[in-house]
Amino acid sequence: MALTGLAIYKLLPKTNCKECGQATCLAFAMQIAAGKAGLDTCPHVSAEARETLSAASEPPVALVRIGAGENALEIGNETVLFRHDKRFVHPTGIGIIVPDTLDDGVLAEQIGRVNRLSFDRLGQIHGVDLLAVRHESGDPERYVRAVRAAAVHTPLNLVLLCAEPGTAERALEAVGERKPLLHAAHAENLEAMVALARRYDLALAVRGRNLEELAELSGRAVQAGHKQLVLDSGARDVGRVLADQTQIRRLAVNKRFRPFGFPTICLAAGENAVLDAAVYIGKYAAVVLLETADPADLLPLITWRLNVYTDPQKPIAIEAKVYEVGNPGPEDPVFLTTNFSLTYFCVRGDVEAARVPAYILPVDTDGTSVLTAWAAGKMTPEKIGTFLESSGITKRVQHRRLIIPGGLAVLSGKLREVTGWEVLVGPRESAAIPAFLREYWSR
Amino acid sequence: MILIGERINGMFRDIREAIQERQSGPVAERARLQARAGAHYLDLSTGPAVDAGEQPAVMEWLVRVAQEATGLPCCLDSVNPEAIEAGLRVHRGKALINSTSADQERMDLLFPLAVRHGAAIIGLAMNQQGVPKDASDRLALAMELVANADAHGLPMEDLFVDPLVLPVNVAQDHAVEVLETIRQAKLLAAPPPRTVVGLSNISQRMIERSLINRTFLVMAMAAGLDAAILDVEDEALLDAAATANILLNREVYCDSFLKVFRKNIERRSQELEYRSQSSEF
Repeated sequence: MALTGLAIYKLLPKTNCKECGQATCLAFAMQIAAGKAGLDTCPHVSAEARETLSAASEPPVALVRIGAGENALEIGNETVLFRHDKRFVHPTGIGIIVPDTLDDGVLAEQIGRVNRLSFDRLGQIHGVDLLAVRHESGDPERYVRAVRAAAVHTPLNLVLLCAEPGTAERALEAVGERKPLLHAAHAENLEAMVALARRYDLALAVRGRNLEELAELSGRAVQAGHKQLVLDSGARDVGRVLADQTQIRRLAVNKRFRPFGFPTICLAAGENAVLDAAVYIGKYAAVVLLETADPADLLPLITWRLNVYTDPQKPIAIEAKVYEVGNPGPEDPVFLTTNFSLTYFCVRGDVEAARVPAYILPVDTDGTSVLTAWAAGKMTPEKIGTFLESSGITKRVQHRRLIIPGGLAVLSGKLREVTGWEVLVGPRESAAIPAFLREYWSR
Repeated sequence: MILIGERINGMFRDIREAIQERQSGPVAERARLQARAGAHYLDLSTGPAVDAGEQPAVMEWLVRVAQEATGLPCCLDSVNPEAIEAGLRVHRGKALINSTSADQERMDLLFPLAVRHGAAIIGLAMNQQGVPKDASDRLALAMELVANADAHGLPMEDLFVDPLVLPVNVAQDHAVEVLETIRQAKLLAAPPPRTVVGLSNISQRMIERSLINRTFLVMAMAAGLDAAILDVEDEALLDAAATANILLNREVYCDSFLKVFRKNIERRSQELEYRSQSSEF
């Protein structure tokens, strides 16, 4: 976003010297705002003004990488406060904390548990992204050993929760090439932590006691030459975190406040950790760390993250394959529909309501609804025929009767010709499926 | 979209006569009609028939009559700063001053007045040299208004830049420049100043005035217009504004969007009536 005329005017020397070719500094500011002039033609402009002007062309939230190579986690680059305004870009990185106080065997076991936290959602595997090793023991030896063990036992990206520069330095000697996120620089250790992060070229979390201190520390880190930052406002109570997260995102996006132009990290611990983490995922956290590795705690969070970070402009599609309702046998009905999730779940809900075991076959229509797909030529008899073969439904039922949506009645003749199946034109609305089955479907 | 009812103006004969005889009835009736039609503000102008010395007293009287009848805030329309100040002194709520030009001595007088009374103010993109021709000249004057408003500590959302609409039959080439000015006014500051037009001026002494007015209103809304001084009693004009609101995604669509637009107006005017009854007038 370009700077406004007023903002540019405030950066100018206000000499009205006319050396830029404009009558006044105000007129010159207008020219810059309209993109008709560059700042270079003003001989009296300060270095600070140049800096501010060039910063205005950078994205509101910087892109930050945790980890090395292809598997690095990218966070930041967000541009909106509400997903319906555009979309949220980089899904929240979810990480599990392990303490360095665990015995070697227990630690390895716990890391194994974290590694196994992956789930099949809509045909894709989603898991946690980060393993965080927390320095609790007070013993540098022990911390370095735990970090080494983590590096050996997990392919996940690492977070070092260690605010002692000396200990962090020794841990980085071991795992620096994995480019872990270093947490955290604070008011007392900032210079040493920035130096470490710069030496290993990795992301550094900055923790303030409140937003004011956070802004100051972030500014200092940037001054010291490091721009791979992740912000931690220091709050741990969910209400405070929610307020801080909102302020950080708002100031970065709406006010171009540079010290907050970085992704954020939140820690969720205690009794309501899962609910708190859900709030942070919904409200701008780029990284959320938890202490639990219970799959029952992580599955809802991973599902929620998937939902929040879907692109609202793209329809949500489900996998095109045979779905079973109840426990259908070889004589039970087969419903044809599309793989637009809204359509599929309507049909599924109404078939379930009919209390008849059945198969549902959603054709891959790029996630568009029945009539949209039909109008766009994505629901042709040929395509349906191919899908009947490839889906394997022909081996699971003995009959050859296909129930199609009432809205596609016009397809029925051609469909029968192409597939050889008997085509039953179902109701226009899926809500009428139970009545339709009672009347037309007999074994 | 902020709708400013234009009708209480001494240029109209009924209002001029009411002012001359200090008959509050016709003024109050016009105020109520406009409130019911959906006005957010009532523009009040003594008209040129009132002597300069009389103008402060007349403005004060108009404010009292209009606010007693409706409780709506007023848009104090006068070139006479003393009349504006007299109106501000008795005005309840947040007034809108109409207007200052981009002339330095006018700005130095009127911006502090607005700040002192917590009022919003319309700034005309013109100065003593007249109305500029193209958008970039209008914007340069708008920038003067923005910079001066900022220097006086006026919140940017309280500055309404008026790019000056001229009649299309004699100044046809200006309308498109006005649209461009509205569009680019958002570049001037963050948050941007608001924009306003004196809509009916576009069709002065022409035929099919209502059609011309509503067509231009829709075009200006598409360019980002925030407010207009207009004939709120023109139903087709308000329908067009309601429709533009939907097409610009400012209101959530429903089949009964015109009805909803009217309902919102009705509900608001009932609230205002209740408030004015329970106030200490």
